[in-house]
Amino acid sequence: MRFKNRRFDDADRVLNIRDLSVSLSGGHQRPILDKVNVTIHQGETVCLVGESGSGKSVTSLAVMGLLTKDALTVTSGVIDLEGQNLLELDHKAMRQMRARRISMIFQEPMTALNPVMQVGAQIEEVLDSHTKLPPREKKKRVVDIMNQVHLPDVERIYNSYPHQLSGGQRQRIMIAMALILEPKLLIADEPTTALDVTTQNQVLALITELQEKHGTAVLFITHDMGVVAEIADTVYVMKDGQIIEHAPVETLLRHPTEEYTRRLLQAVPSLIPRPARERNGAVEVLDVEGLRKVYGIRRLFSRAKPTLAAQDVSFSIIRGRTLGIVGESGSGKSTVARCIMRLIDPTEGEIRVASTDIARLSRRELRPHRRHIQIVFQDPFRSLNPRWTIGQSLIEGQLNYGTSRSEAIKRSGELLELVGLPADALKRYPHQFSGGQRQRIAIARAIAMRPDVLVADEAVSALDVSVQAQVLQLLDELQEKLGIAILFITHDLRVAAQICDEVVVMQHGRIVEHDTAANVLMHPQHDYTRALIEAAPGRHWDFANFKELEPA
Amino acid sequence: MAAAPQPTSSLQFILGAVAVPRHWQLGIGPIIAAIVLAIIVVATLFAPLYVPHDPLSMDAVQRLKGPSSEYWLGTDAYGRDLFSRVMIGGQVSLFIGVGAAIVSVFIGLLIGLVSGFFRIADAIIMRIMDSLMAIPSILLAIALVALNGPSLWSVIFAITIPEIPRVVRLVRAVVLSAREEPYVEAAIAVGSSMPKILWKHLMPNTLAPLIVQGTYICASAILTEAILSFLGAGVSTEIPTWGNIMAEGRIYFQIKPSLIFWPGLMLSLCILSINLLGDTARDLLDPRLKKREG
Repeated sequence: MRFKNRRFDDADRVLNIRDLSVSLSGGHQRPILDKVNVTIHQGETVCLVGESGSGKSVTSLAVMGLLTKDALTVTSGVIDLEGQNLLELDHKAMRQMRARRISMIFQEPMTALNPVMQVGAQIEEVLDSHTKLPPREKKKRVVDIMNQVHLPDVERIYNSYPHQLSGGQRQRIMIAMALILEPKLLIADEPTTALDVTTQNQVLALITELQEKHGTAVLFITHDMGVVAEIADTVYVMKDGQIIEHAPVETLLRHPTEEYTRRLLQAVPSLIPRPARERNGAVEVLDVEGLRKVYGIRRLFSRAKPTLAAQDVSFSIIRGRTLGIVGESGSGKSTVARCIMRLIDPTEGEIRVASTDIARLSRRELRPHRRHIQIVFQDPFRSLNPRWTIGQSLIEGQLNYGTSRSEAIKRSGELLELVGLPADALKRYPHQFSGGQRQRIAIARAIAMRPDVLVADEAVSALDVSVQAQVLQLLDELQEKLGIAILFITHDLRVAAQICDEVVVMQHGRIVEHDTAANVLMHPQHDYTRALIEAAPGRHWDFANFKELEPA
Repeated sequence: MAAAPQPTSSLQFILGAVAVPRHWQLGIGPIIAAIVLAIIVVATLFAPLYVPHDPLSMDAVQRLKGPSSEYWLGTDAYGRDLFSRVMIGGQVSLFIGVGAAIVSVFIGLLIGLVSGFFRIADAIIMRIMDSLMAIPSILLAIALVALNGPSLWSVIFAITIPEIPRVVRLVRAVVLSAREEPYVEAAIAVGSSMPKILWKHLMPNTLAPLIVQGTYICASAILTEAILSFLGAGVSTEIPTWGNIMAEGRIYFQIKPSLIFWPGLMLSLCILSINLLGDTARDLLDPRLKKREG
């Protein structure tokens, strides 16, 4: 693994945050930020890492002067940008600072761009508000920066609207907007989290390239240790509003001093697949054959061009094993999961669950078979009814299949203990639990039905790495105890490597590779699989053991 | 991350989590409105206990008298006591208002739930609703009263029907967005039946907007009743309502404007305060719609 090993001791200091504290306005709770110190030199990339709620984004918003008024207040500290304390500037002066001296790119480029304005005009707007250039000169600069961010066919994209561009192109537009005035400091708040791995890789390379060209200092906020390994010069680790450790990237990854940093690194799932379980000739519990799903808008007078979401999808899972479906967004992996659950109706194909084909059953005929196959969703905040107690959610399904109420409540208590929650959680509401706990509850609800197959649709993608590791561990234990088969849908190769026995790789609605996890990840056959693995950030580093991955 | 809904009291539970903010910031307006409305409701409900005269008893000698200690607001063309008539008349007006609101919200809720969840039903139901909305509601109400005769129930029916499409649209919109929630899909996955999902998972989401809509319907129903009576298409003239009293006073407006003034004042105060409370409820239940201050 090649780290950035540049030294910045002699470079000019661009940003120097000293003892910055931020609190909830009027609140007496612990501060949101507690004496944060960060220094960034010219040309340096500083990564701010930490789990959700650690204060990473608040730090960046404080620098931008964008803290929610009346909600968050800076209680003490200095934010020094090239000798000027930003906290002393008034509204107008701060606005002059933004875009000229500091600029920012966000996680979701679709919402950060104006949907009804051509992107070229949006970049020009930045010039309009900060410079006085003749129109021709303006256009020239916009086209120039668009070329620098490697947008293809600049003339066409200049006149395009955001929805006509891909996610990666939109993020390039955002970067172009941020860098057109050549600011000293670029703040990037999870800029690649919403992108697919291959696109993420390109955007990271672009940021590095432009930084070297312009000598911009970059404050990069991320939760992804892989990205850190790829891009950082210096890493600051945040926890509960405090910087608990900072060091050059290689030092931090090799010799973390704080216990918390060690745990954070150890929680990063390894790309080396775990050994597959024994195939002891058990029965097939789910068999999908020739599944096809076409979305077409039926209209009265016209037929829109049909979209092929899944085609020729065939696989089967046997008891006690885990099959992963990996692919980027739009590859059709979620469509397959939803077809199998019959949340949407497949266009063609067979889905045999407990040796019954459920692909064509009507809603009523389907109900007795639902029990055999259960699902856990991605978003733990929306998958439980906020008005229901945990108990109500857990017994709902059991009552549907004739369990008596007292029996169902008793079993729900046992299930909660099985997933590692106290039994008194039954009487509480979802908002009283954290994301990871809610995901455990969702798992308990699914296994309450004693299913043969559990479909996990990006079930750990919304969780912090340490929580992610715990939930994966839980799934593993449950599988061991109950012999459940798991269909695990994910975009994250690291997660797939940790939990799957077999992996299916999907692209454009088709299966391009299907083999054991070890074969797919270590000896990929298809070009697309290879590209996916190439793009996985930090793939040469063994985070959990603080050293390079040894070639297998 | 979006703020998680936090039902902490039973009220919050019913109205739906996000609904009730922790601190109720009420201005002076809603408080006055609540007091005015409370006085009107109590005064009309208990009117039979204290009104000095039978609102129906005529006295030819006492025609069109001005206010006196015997007749507080004077008398009408048949010598009936105006004060007694206005207070008693409020009963019917309020009953029609509240009745129409409850009936249209309930029926609209049922239709809206079905329409929001079942595609095929939706296509048919919404076309019917569209055609109902295309007809001006007063015109439709007059036609319905003409068909069924001028009884109290037929007036409620006539006012309710034109209000239903608005409720249906509202409920349908809420259901359409809520049915995509993973917790609803999870309920489908654990084999809950459609009626159960509709009633237990989706219906509670509609309560908060329905309460707001209900207050508006109540106010507009009271007004519609008055208009119908004024046009002679309302409750039969023997029963005093604010609309009836005004309709009869219309002829004498030149010589005795108080015959229209007093029932009109009650009507306006009542509708104004209901609407104000409705706005307040909306601001509290759905802060997104609240006008930004400052």
